[in-house]
Amino acid sequence: MSEIRETRLFMISPRSRLTPDQLVRMVHAFGAEALVKETCYGCLVEGPRDLVLSIRDKVREEYRNEVFTKVRAYPCSDPRRCRAQHGTRPGFAQLEEEWALLSRIQRGLEAVEAGAEYAEAPAKKRIPVNEFKKICEVQR
Amino acid sequence: MKVFIDPPNSLVLFDLVERFGHEPLSTMAAIQERVDNIEVDMPPMNVTLDDVVKGLKYAGVEVPSGVRGRLALWGPLIEAADAAIVMDDCPYSFGCVGCERSNLMVKYLIKRRGIPTLHVSYPEDDAQAIAFVAKAKEFLEGLK
Repeated sequence: MSEIRETRLFMISPRSRLTPDQLVRMVHAFGAEALVKETCYGCLVEGPRDLVLSIRDKVREEYRNEVFTKVRAYPCSDPRRCRAQHGTRPGFAQLEEEWALLSRIQRGLEAVEAGAEYAEAPAKKRIPVNEFKKICEVQR
Repeated sequence: MKVFIDPPNSLVLFDLVERFGHEPLSTMAAIQERVDNIEVDMPPMNVTLDDVVKGLKYAGVEVPSGVRGRLALWGPLIEAADAAIVMDDCPYSFGCVGCERSNLMVKYLIKRRGIPTLHVSYPEDDAQAIAFVAKAKEFLEGLK
């Protein structure tokens, strides 16, 4: 991974009451010399790797289970990607799908912090023939 | 430890691996190297000719170039990984933004490497999500 530049995507869980505006203001308030760009799902932060990681840790201290983050390959406003500059980014299909999943993951993290442990889900049983017949014949 | 995530661009898995103290190996880092060092052009020219040749190590010449292109990115990551987390049946890893053949090849390559691997299914409700997070935490903490 490059030590020079890191662009990180911060995404707010839909279960959180935090807004992208609040998140961006908070990152600005850290006073770090990083590029911050507000987006519909949270924000993008760009800068040297160490600086971006320190911002990630501070955000995580404040909103431990509400803000999720990953690295982004392209820099902010890259003309090859940025739609404002007619880039070719096809859309947020995956991010949108994962955004919906984040509320469940947030609940999972909170439960695990509260002491929940992994338990094997009970195996699905087959329906007895007589019960199945009743379902099939319900319209009769 | 270096943990390969599958789907390799998953936000959830990337975040969880980092959260529990490991380094995730993802597509983003591999593409960033190309963006910063090789100056790749717009998609679909996101991989260079060398990448497609590299992909031959992981998939035969008769395999579609899209599969080889993906494996050129992911293959070296799998080789560098000490462990892997695989999320099965992700809705976004199949269809217009994914490739089932590449996914199968990735699973095969992971299995062939013999590294500790956690297979989890895509959580459909809160109970499954709690089980997923607990399982991932147990696995990642056990790697230390």
